[in-house]
Amino acid sequence: MTTEPPQPGPPAEGPGTGRGLFDKQQLDRCISCGFCLPACPTYSLTGDEASSPRGRITLMRALETGELPADDPTLAEESSYCLGCRACETVCPAGVEYGQLLEQWRDHQWSGPKRPWIVRLLTALVARPFLLRLQGLVRRHARPSGGGPADGPSLMLGCVERGLYPAVSRAALRLRPELNVPPGQGCCGALHAHNGDSATGKALAEELGRRLPGTLVTTAGGCAAHLAHHLGPDRVREFGDHLHREGHVPAGRVTVDGRPARVGLQDSCHLRNGLGVTRPPRELIAAVAEYVEVPGAGDCCGAAGTYAMLRPADSRAVLDPKLAALAEADLDFVVAVNPGCLRQLRQGLRRTGARARAVHLAELLALAEEDRT
Amino acid sequence: MTAHTERAAGRATPPSERTDTAAEGRTGELADALAALVGREHVRVEPGQLAAYARDATPLFHAPPDVVVFPGSTAEVAAVLRLATERGVPVVPRGAGSNLCAGTVALHGGVMLVLTRLNRVLEISPGELLARVQTGVTTAQLADAAGDAGLLYAPDPGSRTVSTVGGNVATCAGGLRGLKYGVTRNYVLGLEAVLPTGEIVRTGGRLWKDVAGYDLTRLLTGSEGTLAVITEVTVALLPKPADTGTGVAYFDSLADASRAVAAVIAAGVVPATLEFLDRKCIEAVEAFAGLGLRTDAGALLLFGDDGDPSVVAGNLSRIQEVCTAAGALEVTLAENVARADALLAARRCGLPALSRLGSLTILEDATVPRHRLAEMVGRIDEIAERHGLLIATFGHAGDGNLHPTCVVDPDDTGAVERAHQAFGEIFAAALALDGTITGEHGVGAAKLPYLADRLGDDQMALLRRIKHAFDPAGILNPGKLGS
Repeated sequence: MTTEPPQPGPPAEGPGTGRGLFDKQQLDRCISCGFCLPACPTYSLTGDEASSPRGRITLMRALETGELPADDPTLAEESSYCLGCRACETVCPAGVEYGQLLEQWRDHQWSGPKRPWIVRLLTALVARPFLLRLQGLVRRHARPSGGGPADGPSLMLGCVERGLYPAVSRAALRLRPELNVPPGQGCCGALHAHNGDSATGKALAEELGRRLPGTLVTTAGGCAAHLAHHLGPDRVREFGDHLHREGHVPAGRVTVDGRPARVGLQDSCHLRNGLGVTRPPRELIAAVAEYVEVPGAGDCCGAAGTYAMLRPADSRAVLDPKLAALAEADLDFVVAVNPGCLRQLRQGLRRTGARARAVHLAELLALAEEDRT
Repeated sequence: MTAHTERAAGRATPPSERTDTAAEGRTGELADALAALVGREHVRVEPGQLAAYARDATPLFHAPPDVVVFPGSTAEVAAVLRLATERGVPVVPRGAGSNLCAGTVALHGGVMLVLTRLNRVLEISPGELLARVQTGVTTAQLADAAGDAGLLYAPDPGSRTVSTVGGNVATCAGGLRGLKYGVTRNYVLGLEAVLPTGEIVRTGGRLWKDVAGYDLTRLLTGSEGTLAVITEVTVALLPKPADTGTGVAYFDSLADASRAVAAVIAAGVVPATLEFLDRKCIEAVEAFAGLGLRTDAGALLLFGDDGDPSVVAGNLSRIQEVCTAAGALEVTLAENVARADALLAARRCGLPALSRLGSLTILEDATVPRHRLAEMVGRIDEIAERHGLLIATFGHAGDGNLHPTCVVDPDDTGAVERAHQAFGEIFAAALALDGTITGEHGVGAAKLPYLADRLGDDQMALLRRIKHAFDPAGILNPGKLGS
């Protein structure tokens, strides 16, 4: 179904040299019907065609044909303004894989000196296994272990999550002790693929696939979608999806002041829009607490990988309506299934002084194990 | 550019001839003048920003404007138009750009007037059964707002989640409920619109019965942005039907399904919806929506009705009987509302879903009297075969409104040429069967070359005189109706 992304070449210069950047079949598949417009978070903020998926594909076409020069400022701005949430893909009857086109666009847009320094720093950090090992010494994530058979499912630690939220992998292992935690794990490459280096993103995914035999279980929705694209959907499972398929039965409930906790969910865009996983996290939450469907739970939170760092004001503009909806829902916890979303929600909730706490799905379910009622 | 688009584009100047230094200076000056009217942040002049506005949903038409402007009020729209008339600059009004007739492509450059900032639902009046909205509100937003008040906005274009109410009025959009409820025209009670000279007019009002004067509301409805820019719309609503029901009948061929349509109407049943899809469309829609449709059938008929539960049930069962008698392979009724909604939603995606079959998807819109539907379907098949083209057909069978859709490889210029020839023949066939060249998409630039075949020279001349009365400087959407 998917085709090989073209290898990034040297930066294109001048009109006419954009040819070959994109998977032409994907570009041609868009018939500009505009069904994607209402799904797009940036279009809903601006009402400007250029910041819609259809408009961006029109821009990609203009780059491809040389109608726009490679250094056109709108090309740079819009490729960066897009969150890459892929909500447009779910409503596209023509089946355009916009996420793939965006990766190809950023390969061009963020090549060489045009690469944002934050992106350079982050991708350089996470691509080095010894630095990831170092993180484990500072913050204690799930320790390498051999819980299950060697070819059984492996827990992928995730390069960002193991640094920022080591408790997540500990909670995951507590819930599923049979998961292997192989040592020497690298980065899956999603960060690279989403930030203009899809060749490295692909190579890292394949390398991780070789290091972790059997099924890869990840607590990050973004990693799950990226790995599934490169290793095949059969080899990759997001943690909630994994629990669901394994028929996980919680031992207890999560309570607050003696009553069931009110818990909402923030979908991970790539999990929802890339892999279509929406029910498992909801059902798992409902099994341990009072599940509250927050309006807009499936809309992007604005974290979008490096986006919150690269474009903080825009990221906040996307998040703000969500914070209002969360406040309205009067929650005890809001669950995320991706480390970037977790960071975004924690910061936003802190900024607005909200009562709700943001936790990862694994952490919430681990709380239920403690509260055996 | 193909012969067809050259012909359609008429006097369009290629962008390459417009970008000399003097023109750039003029554009810069125009942008400054517009910025003074609407604010610098609501004006776009960078080539990339303009490129995004080079297309609407019509394939093969493509031309960037010189400036894009986003007015925030009717007064700003008026100021922009006054300026454009003074300077003789073309203006193309645009909602969501989801039209399929190149109605919002700036073939002559100039100003793209984008109305998405005018997006407020101003009023829902259950007592008067009406709604008043700004032009940039989407059809779905209007329908939802009406639904929340227990009311129905009946027009139901396939692009309802995207298209704007102003755009619906400008093109007189149709849709899936046309058989029982008609098209947008039947619901527009009043308009606020700005003439190219900058005068703000209010036509019609809030009344069902009002025959004072020429019906300018109807004249502007379907005028495709060539007479005035619609800024506010008052539409009639209906009480929300108590119940809805939907069913699917499968047939060996589209011709069989067409005969069943005639039989249904002959049996005295006028349901809200009677849509058909041929085998290629069924496959494409099924690939997108995964509803479990039978892809071994040659065609399906999607029927639906709304109203009192007993009436709905009675009508659906009558349609079931008639279809069975007309040789249906199988007839099933949707067991619940969710399933019915899913079927209708899938049908709305017929066009984009078809683009899964190939990269260039050209959809057309021809209408014939209902009793000649089977004949028209036969002619389309014959034309497609003769030109060696893949033409899938779906449409609003109950209205005799067909959407033959040709899927070709855009790099195969021979095939693109043959597609244009085939569509020319399809329109001629529709006219020969007492039909028309568009039932609901409008004329735009795409169908302007065929309009005289439908209207005749006398009406064409009258159209031009009307156009001149509204738009003496000829600035509003040139290259479209009235040109």
